Amino acid sequence: MSAPASAVISLRDVTKSFRADRALLRRLRGAPGTAPSAVLDAVTLSVQRGEIFGLVGANGAGKTTLLKILSTVLLPDRGSVTVDGIDALAHPAQVRRKLAVVPADERALFWRISATENVRLFASMYGLSGQQRDDAVARALELVGLGRAGRQQVGSFSSGMRQRTLIARALVTRPPILILDEPTRSLDPVTARELRRFIRDVLCTELGATILLATHSTEEALQLCDRAALLVRGRVVATDTLAKLHASVGGARVRVRVDAAHEARARALLHLPVDVISPAQDGMVMLFATLPDVAHASVVVEALVRASVRVSEFAPVPVTLADLLDAAAVQPPPDEALRHA
Amino acid sequence: MHKMLAVARAYTLGMLTYRTRTLVSLLSVLLAVVPVYFVAGALQPLAAKAIASESTEYFTYLIVGSVATFVIAESVSAIPSLINSYITSGTLEQLLTTPIRWPALVGGLATYGYGWVALRAMVLLLTAWVWATSTIAWPRLLEFTLIMAMLAIAYSGIGLMAGALVLSVRSSLFIPQAVTTVSALLGTVYFPVTVLPPAFAPFAAFVPLTPALRAARQILLRDQALALVMPDVLQLLAWAVAGAVVGGSAFHLALQHARRAGTLTQY
Repeated sequence: MSAPASAVISLRDVTKSFRADRALLRRLRGAPGTAPSAVLDAVTLSVQRGEIFGLVGANGAGKTTLLKILSTVLLPDRGSVTVDGIDALAHPAQVRRKLAVVPADERALFWRISATENVRLFASMYGLSGQQRDDAVARALELVGLGRAGRQQVGSFSSGMRQRTLIARALVTRPPILILDEPTRSLDPVTARELRRFIRDVLCTELGATILLATHSTEEALQLCDRAALLVRGRVVATDTLAKLHASVGGARVRVRVDAAHEARARALLHLPVDVISPAQDGMVMLFATLPDVAHASVVVEALVRASVRVSEFAPVPVTLADLLDAAAVQPPPDEALRHA
Repeated sequence: MHKMLAVARAYTLGMLTYRTRTLVSLLSVLLAVVPVYFVAGALQPLAAKAIASESTEYFTYLIVGSVATFVIAESVSAIPSLINSYITSGTLEQLLTTPIRWPALVGGLATYGYGWVALRAMVLLLTAWVWATSTIAWPRLLEFTLIMAMLAIAYSGIGLMAGALVLSVRSSLFIPQAVTTVSALLGTVYFPVTVLPPAFAPFAAFVPLTPALRAARQILLRDQALALVMPDVLQLLAWAVAGAVVGGSAFHLALQHARRAGTLTQY
């Protein structure tokens, strides 16, 4: 399969194995866990210019490993990686000029110096100097809302501010490609929502960056990504728009709150597979069901009303990562080696 | 150079925020001179003949030895220690996602340490100048600095090898400590080679510190020109070239290995 002409990132058959246990003596003894285990298994995907592409997967699925390979700090065992037409394995230095990484770990910042100095350092790394560098630093900090706090030590920042500093640091040279590794992992819901808006409106729409985002939150992927790859134990099991990935879970999930006295009638009338039944509260019981599709909801409601079933709530249930993974027929939990990723 | 200076600036600014620690460290250097002064004074009659070619005073002999110890301790320990710390925090991996080459990165990170060594060395030398009865050849400070720089490069090779081990197996295997101890014992920091037991004396020739200190003392304490200590300088230069080549190659290979094995970050 060849990458589309407009693909700015292209990975083909990328495979990577790690030893979960690297202790030399145990390796020589051939102790369990010392043999290499596949963290990425023949991953093939492409990201189009200007899109936000999600890497969705549970912890240990291989998301971070994939991002590290893209950012040239990790070499795959096999496969090819192309970034903006450049072979990332043959010319890593050229690739590093094309992309910037926002890591998941805010410890990667220099905590004892100011946000301005942190961003300035990275600007210098990319060859900016003098007034041009200082302007770029000020612009990047302004863009992430840290214009006034720039002189403060990063160690005194909240997690949200540190995350913004990491983004400013990545943005300072306006790279065409941004790699975001779980950018909202340590943020409160309000800050996370603001950051997602920023990624969508500023980074993608305003600055036109191509964004590759790793997340284990389907909510985040839904809000941000044009397309996503579902990564399960190092394998891409699906690549599509989020809507289509959702559809792949086999229908629309809904929760229906009905009078406990009408529960049996409701279930009999609707002929719906009832997944979970919660205990009755205040005389009402919550049923969780999967409909063939969203359009079927009106038919369900109509049938319930016609049968005089008292319904106090009928609402869709957001698809979770677990649903997507279930749909992908996930095998048992990852082993030790996969947890490394 | 521009990128190296940028790294050095960021690292230095961070370190300068530890004001109390910096002050206490400088004061401890000053305090450490006191016992050295009195012990050296007591041993002067015994040491005078053995050190005559390098110094007329045992106190200044020890001070120059201490300066060299600062240099080698920094050279062999700083790189593995920083690499270890930056692997743990993820900073190393982050810095390597940028278009910086590792020599500039390592050089930038090491700059502050050497600046700090230079400051402590100046405090020692100034204290010695105030207290010593003999003179210090200040006009030869540049030549003395050149010798110390070559010494730093020679031992940085070992530091880079220890850093390479940290990149590969997350441990420097106590190489920095072993090298510092052996060098201090055999490298004429406290006593000349002639005082060493016959069984150990030949090994002193294989320690880069030996020619470095011989040349440094003759320059600074005996006011000898660099040309007069050229055999020692050339020997030190050979050590420096070997250190840079072997250490640099080891670090480069270890970095490649770390990129394959995924050991650039904590695991």
